[in-house]
Amino acid sequence: MLSNKKLENSLVQCITDHKESIYRLAYSYVRNSEDALDIVQESIHKAFSSAASLKNPDAMKSWFYRIVVNTSLDFLRKQKRIQLMDEETLESYSQGMPDVYQNIDLEKALEELPVKYRSVVVLRYFEDLKIEEIAEVLDENINTVKTRLYQALRVLRVKLNDDSYVEV
Amino acid sequence: MDKNLEHLKNNYQEIPIPAELDFVVKKAIRKHRTKRTNLRWIMGTAAAVIVFVSGVNSSPTFANAFSDIPVLNNIVKVITFREYKVDEDTYNADLKVPAVTNLENKKLEEMLNKQYLEENKQLYEDFKKDMEAMKQEGSGGHLGIDSGYEVKTDNEQILSIGRYVVNTVGSSSTTIKYDTIDKKNQVLITLPSLFKDDTYVTTISQIIKEQMNAQMKSDPDKFYWVEGAPDMDSMETFTTIQKDQSFYINTEGKLVISFDKYVVAPGYMGVVEFVIPTEKIAADLVSSAYIK
Repeated sequence: MLSNKKLENSLVQCITDHKESIYRLAYSYVRNSEDALDIVQESIHKAFSSAASLKNPDAMKSWFYRIVVNTSLDFLRKQKRIQLMDEETLESYSQGMPDVYQNIDLEKALEELPVKYRSVVVLRYFEDLKIEEIAEVLDENINTVKTRLYQALRVLRVKLNDDSYVEV
Repeated sequence: MDKNLEHLKNNYQEIPIPAELDFVVKKAIRKHRTKRTNLRWIMGTAAAVIVFVSGVNSSPTFANAFSDIPVLNNIVKVITFREYKVDEDTYNADLKVPAVTNLENKKLEEMLNKQYLEENKQLYEDFKKDMEAMKQEGSGGHLGIDSGYEVKTDNEQILSIGRYVVNTVGSSSTTIKYDTIDKKNQVLITLPSLFKDDTYVTTISQIIKEQMNAQMKSDPDKFYWVEGAPDMDSMETFTTIQKDQSFYINTEGKLVISFDKYVVAPGYMGVVEFVIPTEKIAADLVSSAYIK
């Protein structure tokens, strides 16, 4: 259980501040509102019951996002909607596609992106997390995150200019 | 940043936030947080309930006073008293306010009708506020609210009215509240008033837990947050009904316990109801006048 009141208070603060973000994050995985709400609820329960394991309170946001991502992934796994894909298959995706996408294709491409690649795109560009934070959320090292982000973007055929590459 | 990404980001940010998010978040936090406050609140409610129960049950004069009333039972009716409507493109509200009529007990009638009206007024005000806010943002989302009532039971003895509110923002949430009136004695029946003492809370909770598990066993699509369900390690499970849990009496004279969406089961299960077998609670009942 929670070791002190202060931790509990900052957890409540963190949840309240980011409730809409975590809802969207969950939604980006499960694509429907009811399941997303269930995930939000379950994530909050998990956060409270494992708050003691949070070693660095400054990293609370990343830690909480990690719970949400993992809960979403668990959910998808149970639903057996996950399609595992190796990197070769992923690369083949980027071949032979038309140069200009309709927006609808772009959205579809994002949705069809394997979950581990989609996660980095969502966290980096939609949730504006830093690479280091994404590494914490996904429990991967920084280079892995960078690689995945790069591969994901290549699949999405998003043309990067030099500036945004530095930003990555 | 690339304009394609910008576009995807906009899409992401436009994922509508459902109205029940607040409720779900608050409820989840509350479960872990305010054990102390909760207890105080329950005790306060319990005290109020005891006063009411003693009023109806232990005072023969109070009960007898109503038995002299000439039989007007069948005229006691529920009508649509007023309707609030908004119908603008993506904003739709349809609120039907029920009113109970022809109750001899005017105080009860007035109390119920006033409550129904107040609740719907509040819904309407809230809806207007949300609508204005969304219009200003120019986000063009959908917003809908629909309230109304259904008469669950209307026989010589019992009138059970369920009032529902369906809130639609992206997905929908439904809450239902019930009022059950004894038409002969012209009183509002509360859950505690049906039973001799508080043991019904445990008895009924146990029956519901058994039904939850039995239902999950026979139908893999059903899921309840209850002990015995798979993957419940870190989840809060259903432990007990509230003393004033939502209920009604169905046409067969059976007690039906109702839970709003998200309270004891994931959202896809919707509002859930449990019919309590009378023989299992017979020993705790004050009389078999209502529950058969």
